[in-house]
Amino acid sequence: MKLRQSRWVPIALLAWGGVLLLNPLPYVSELPAATVVPAWATDPTPVRQPKGVPAYSVAGFTYGCNDCHAIIPSPAETDRTLVQHTEIRLRHGLNTRCFNCHHRTDREAWVDDFGEPIPWADPPRLCGKCHGPVYRDWQAGSHGRTNGSWDPARGTQTRRKCIECHDPHTPPFPPLEPAPGPNTFRMGPQESQDEGPARNPLRVDALPRRETRGD
Amino acid sequence: MADASRQPVAPGTPPNPPDMSRRGFLAKGGVAVAGLSALAAAFSPLRHLAPEDLPSLEDFLQKHYKEMTPADKDRALARIRGQVRRRHRVEVRVTDPPPLDGVEFVYGLNISRCIGCRRCVHACVQENNLSRSPEIQYIRVLEMEKGSIDVESSDHHYASAQVPRPDKWYMPVQCHQCANPPCVKVCPVEATWQEPDGLVVIDYDWCIGCRYCEAACPYWARRFNFAEPQLPEGSINPNVSYLSNRPRPKGVMEKCTFCLHRTRVGRLPACLEVCPTGSRKFGNVLDPNSEVHYILKHKRVYVLKEDVGTLPRFFYYFDERGSRYAEPPGPARPQEAS
Repeated sequence: MKLRQSRWVPIALLAWGGVLLLNPLPYVSELPAATVVPAWATDPTPVRQPKGVPAYSVAGFTYGCNDCHAIIPSPAETDRTLVQHTEIRLRHGLNTRCFNCHHRTDREAWVDDFGEPIPWADPPRLCGKCHGPVYRDWQAGSHGRTNGSWDPARGTQTRRKCIECHDPHTPPFPPLEPAPGPNTFRMGPQESQDEGPARNPLRVDALPRRETRGD
Repeated sequence: MADASRQPVAPGTPPNPPDMSRRGFLAKGGVAVAGLSALAAAFSPLRHLAPEDLPSLEDFLQKHYKEMTPADKDRALARIRGQVRRRHRVEVRVTDPPPLDGVEFVYGLNISRCIGCRRCVHACVQENNLSRSPEIQYIRVLEMEKGSIDVESSDHHYASAQVPRPDKWYMPVQCHQCANPPCVKVCPVEATWQEPDGLVVIDYDWCIGCRYCEAACPYWARRFNFAEPQLPEGSINPNVSYLSNRPRPKGVMEKCTFCLHRTRVGRLPACLEVCPTGSRKFGNVLDPNSEVHYILKHKRVYVLKEDVGTLPRFFYYFDERGSRYAEPPGPARPQEAS
């Protein structure tokens, strides 16, 4: 009896070890599906593509600005509603007059502080009339987009102009749709805890009345 | 049993006769089966290895990057090219651009202008052949309340329809390429080091995956390949380099290298090129005409976790009058529901 047991037990153990080595049901870590990233999320095109030429399209035709404005004199500028160019919404802060930027007689140019024309292709000089610090930063490179090379001596460098990001009639940078956030599959869905203005030290008015935090 | 053990032992019998009882046999057998099972279970993943998972003799005998001769490097680059061809069926151009003389790279990020659109995150993933699943991203964009830098309560899962949200500001965090890098100090095998141009790089063939550097980094800039990186067909960037964006194997660390394969040949990093707001600035800080030199000289600069003494080469800076978001903030405006 003892002899038989001492034979089949090691054989059973070895067989069981073999089954485990073959691993018929291996554990495979679950992987989340890759996040679908839209093509616009990696597109380096600037947010605006200004035409770059003084032209106006209406009813399928494209005109140069001076085609009309050389003949039709512009009336003195008042706060009246526009009858032409009604699609333009001027929301540029205190700057509510067309001729602050557009030249009064040569409509295919901008106007500088002395009434002289600024070429159409050089809008930063126009914007710099009021936005001095930003113009200075743009010239030095700390404001605005740069593409290409980090050193103009090592390759072509493209400095983007003001109007490639800002609409001159509505200058603040437009809000954009954010690209997908990090995948939190491993930790389960995460609820972003938005405590609202309670954590904002700038908005003391929105704080509920409570004791000052002790820490 | 106790009485039996006290009986005098007959001469000729061994002092401790083997325990042949049923109980003793089952106890030893149990231990044996547990040990065998554990051994078998431990070895069984080896059966799932594909031939290309096993290191070749050439892999095994490869020297540390810093000890390679130019001929060794050429062989290593050719080997990587072959590995990528076999594994991903893509022809890539493997380079090893050397650091440029008189160049120290520095990054500037204008937190007055960043709107948190996360385009940098995905441009980086595409450029650097990062794993899509499990997901690895070098850049993390933190959303915080305006007026405070409270990293602990920041949120990087924000998913509003549009950014920036009112009363929030955004702070992208990535590798700071520290001048005093804690990640380099802790590496037990010297698989990571600082290059002469300031970039902290990893030799993926030398890394043993101990993740000490991940624990040492105060910016959470290092990522670990827990699984075989998944790169979708046709999405591999063919311009790869040894120290930066070549496809990584499972079980090694990786990190942002300021797109070394681009920046060392004069191009700007991918995250900067895609930024729609122009918040990101990059250049040679030793060049007095560079953008980053101007920023460090004239702008108000913030260093994240300056107190830990890592001396980052990544600087956050501000504009004089703050940002011009489309919606001006003010206490009278109702809260945005998002």
